[in-house]
Amino acid sequence: MSINKISGCIGCGECVKACPTDVIRLNSKGKAEITYPADCQICHLCRMYCPVDAISITPEKAIPVVVSWG
Amino acid sequence: MSKEFSRRQFLNLSGATLGAAAIASMGMNSGWAHNNKTLPVGDTSVADYSTDVLVIGGGMAGLFAAVKAHDAGAKTLIVSKGRLGSSGQTPFAKGIFSFDAKEAGMSIDEFVNKVSYSAIGTNNPVYTRQVAEHSKARVEELREWGFFDSAIYNKSFMRPINERNIELIERVTITHLVKENDRITGAAGFSIDESKAYFFSAKSVILCTGAGGFKPNGFPINDLTHDGTIMAYNIGAKVTGKEWNDGHPGRSTNPAACYDGWGNMFEQKPSTTSVGIRHDLGMEANVMAYANGNPSQMRPGMNNKSSYSSLKAPYRPEGLQEEQRQSPPPGGDGRDDKRRPPRDGQGPGSDGQRPPQQKAKGKGKGDNGGPPGMGGSIVGGSSAGMAIHKSEGLVPINDKCESNIPGLYAAGDALGSYMAGAIYTQIGSSLAGSAVQGAIAGKAAADYATGQKGSKISSAKKQEIESEIFAPLKREAGYSPAWVTQTLQGIMIPNFVLYVKKESLMKAALAYIEELRDHHMPMLRAADMHELRLAHETRHMIISAEMKLRASLMRKESRCSHYRIDYPDLDNENWEAWINIYKGANGDMQLEKQPFNS
Amino acid sequence: MKNRLRNYNRLLLIAVFILLPGLLYLLGDFPRRTWLKELFSILTIWGFFMMLMQFFLSRGNQKSIRQGHKMSQVIKWHKVLGYVFVSILLLHPFMIVFPRYYESGVTPQDALNTILATTDSNALVLGMVAWCLMLIIGITSIFRNKLGLSYKTWRVIHGVFSIIFIILATIHATNLGRHMSTAMISLIYALATTGVLLILKIYILKPKAPKL
Repeated sequence: MSINKISGCIGCGECVKACPTDVIRLNSKGKAEITYPADCQICHLCRMYCPVDAISITPEKAIPVVVSWG
Repeated sequence: MSKEFSRRQFLNLSGATLGAAAIASMGMNSGWAHNNKTLPVGDTSVADYSTDVLVIGGGMAGLFAAVKAHDAGAKTLIVSKGRLGSSGQTPFAKGIFSFDAKEAGMSIDEFVNKVSYSAIGTNNPVYTRQVAEHSKARVEELREWGFFDSAIYNKSFMRPINERNIELIERVTITHLVKENDRITGAAGFSIDESKAYFFSAKSVILCTGAGGFKPNGFPINDLTHDGTIMAYNIGAKVTGKEWNDGHPGRSTNPAACYDGWGNMFEQKPSTTSVGIRHDLGMEANVMAYANGNPSQMRPGMNNKSSYSSLKAPYRPEGLQEEQRQSPPPGGDGRDDKRRPPRDGQGPGSDGQRPPQQKAKGKGKGDNGGPPGMGGSIVGGSSAGMAIHKSEGLVPINDKCESNIPGLYAAGDALGSYMAGAIYTQIGSSLAGSAVQGAIAGKAAADYATGQKGSKISSAKKQEIESEIFAPLKREAGYSPAWVTQTLQGIMIPNFVLYVKKESLMKAALAYIEELRDHHMPMLRAADMHELRLAHETRHMIISAEMKLRASLMRKESRCSHYRIDYPDLDNENWEAWINIYKGANGDMQLEKQPFNS
Repeated sequence: MKNRLRNYNRLLLIAVFILLPGLLYLLGDFPRRTWLKELFSILTIWGFFMMLMQFFLSRGNQKSIRQGHKMSQVIKWHKVLGYVFVSILLLHPFMIVFPRYYESGVTPQDALNTILATTDSNALVLGMVAWCLMLIIGITSIFRNKLGLSYKTWRVIHGVFSIIFIILATIHATNLGRHMSTAMISLIYALATTGVLLILKIYILKPKAPKL
């Protein structure tokens, strides 16, 4: 996972707006949901904009990564 | 028994379906498949806007473009794919160059000459001078808005916008520039929140759309796919700089974790940088890895030409040796160059001297960081598909950020201004350059708009564009954009295709890219608005990949951040020139040379 | 005998309102954060359970209490714990944003503004209403003697406000709480429901009973 968990979300939508790659959306209950995890670039902007620090992020990408050389 | 069997069969099937769904939801699998639309078909609406100056993009360039266009008296509107100050590369740029002749101990002329020397002539001195002349004024304005008070920029960016009541539309992806009667008349795109097309009629348009890459791992540019460049190319604009490469490396452990890879840089407040001219390639590590294998095993002192084995090292101007890691300048360390966070060679653990566990110090005050154990060896291509800042984008026809399309301007990384040349020269100039060029383009676009009569986008044009925008949504089946993007990455990122270039490999890659262009691009599907955005981004990346390969094939020499194993030397006789790309009359990609300084 | 019962009751209270929530907090699958944030979290959780405990340290629970305790002692604890939990819960919005002071994201002030501006979240608005109600309950308790109300009137108002408050606060906490596992939510609902029933019993059942 990239964005790992959202707990304690108040539904303000700051993370939705802050995400450059549109990973998070508000669900039908009005809470932030990791909707498109494959597109997370693990930049932590959502976490930094969250007023209640509800988002935790791990460094693993949700899909296999392509690199030049390893 | 048959009952039992069918039950088991059912369980197996449902298990398989669940598995496939899980994989598909992660963007893998499912190349060609039925389009499982989540939106009601045909249920699309249209929004119309009209303005004098349309600014596309909400980063540093877009901010200043909008502010200065407004201040010059034009009705101004900003439209951004994401949030103002929280999309593109701007949020991660932490150092901004501020030229002060007294402090620098050198005149602007000396500064420009030094940059030109390091850039081996690839820079455009007009724009190099501009950044030195105006950076301080822009920095002061930013300071007033509170830019230096926070590590996140939305609040400070919103201040001048709110004060001026500038209209701002966020979360709308622009996909088309509109040209009618040989001049720009606006732009069009769609909202990612509802199935709505957006049309903006404008007298002039400023592209502040940044650069782009192939959604690489390890660099926070996955929302940048050269959108502006390709939209402009599609209506006849000239594009330059596609052969240059940003060579930032990444970490082999969790290479996609940009935040972790950059230590605590993303958490830092921005600061200013003063004169410090380098010749940072980022390429050298890639060339060395090609020659010797992963250079993370290197020891200090090995970083010299002898370690390239039989390969010829990229040319480096005398006196500009690769920076040895030293105590960081004030406001320095990785953040000294904002947008390309760790300088080349000093990136996430790229120089052999930095222990890979830089992570430890990275965490700073925040918590929530990744688990320990980041680091490890180094891999290339963290910014794959991106060129040197300001070296790739629209070709300016003057010093006002104007393109060859009347009314179309570009600023920042969307403009191929060659402000710093085709190599990293002045630290922190990337962010400063975006601010400076944004301001200049804003004023120029406003001046242009005053002389124009307003013209609406014609309804025929609107219909044509609307159907193009929504086409992937309407397809019953097609290729998933995520899969095509992964295929593109598989062609363009491994094997040093763009780092250690050679004709045969690039031709092979080009053949494959042409296949994606001709056979996959027209058949991309989208189930929802998010996927629709991915589909358009994928289109742009495919065209950009073609440009990069064609330009790299054409430049038969090595210079700055373009390195060819089959032409490793500088060729000043033939190649004191930039390469411009434009769409020919028959729709084919055309390439031409433009001599330096012309 | 009385002593044993008293001790038993105390242990039961401690077990249900302190140890059990603490255990659920520890067992829950939640990302651990800095010690300051964890401290604030557990304080808030205990504050919330202390609030729930109030309903059991009241006249509503007389039947159980009378067997081993002096009502005056119980009410003394009711007051002490009341002021403690009100302080904690009044502060908890600030405790959520305060750690941002040490971080580089939004400032505590901006975070608080965002929270207050999120009026389209019902659970959050209920929380704000509950917060105000709690403030009123706290103030009317401190200055009960100066209100000019008879004790019985005050007690009715106190009880009614408390019931409204606990309903709002429970919805708020179970919807928005960071550490809300199914077990935690069940525990809160069980205790809150019992608590409310205990109070309702006084006002609804009592009048029907023959006066002594």
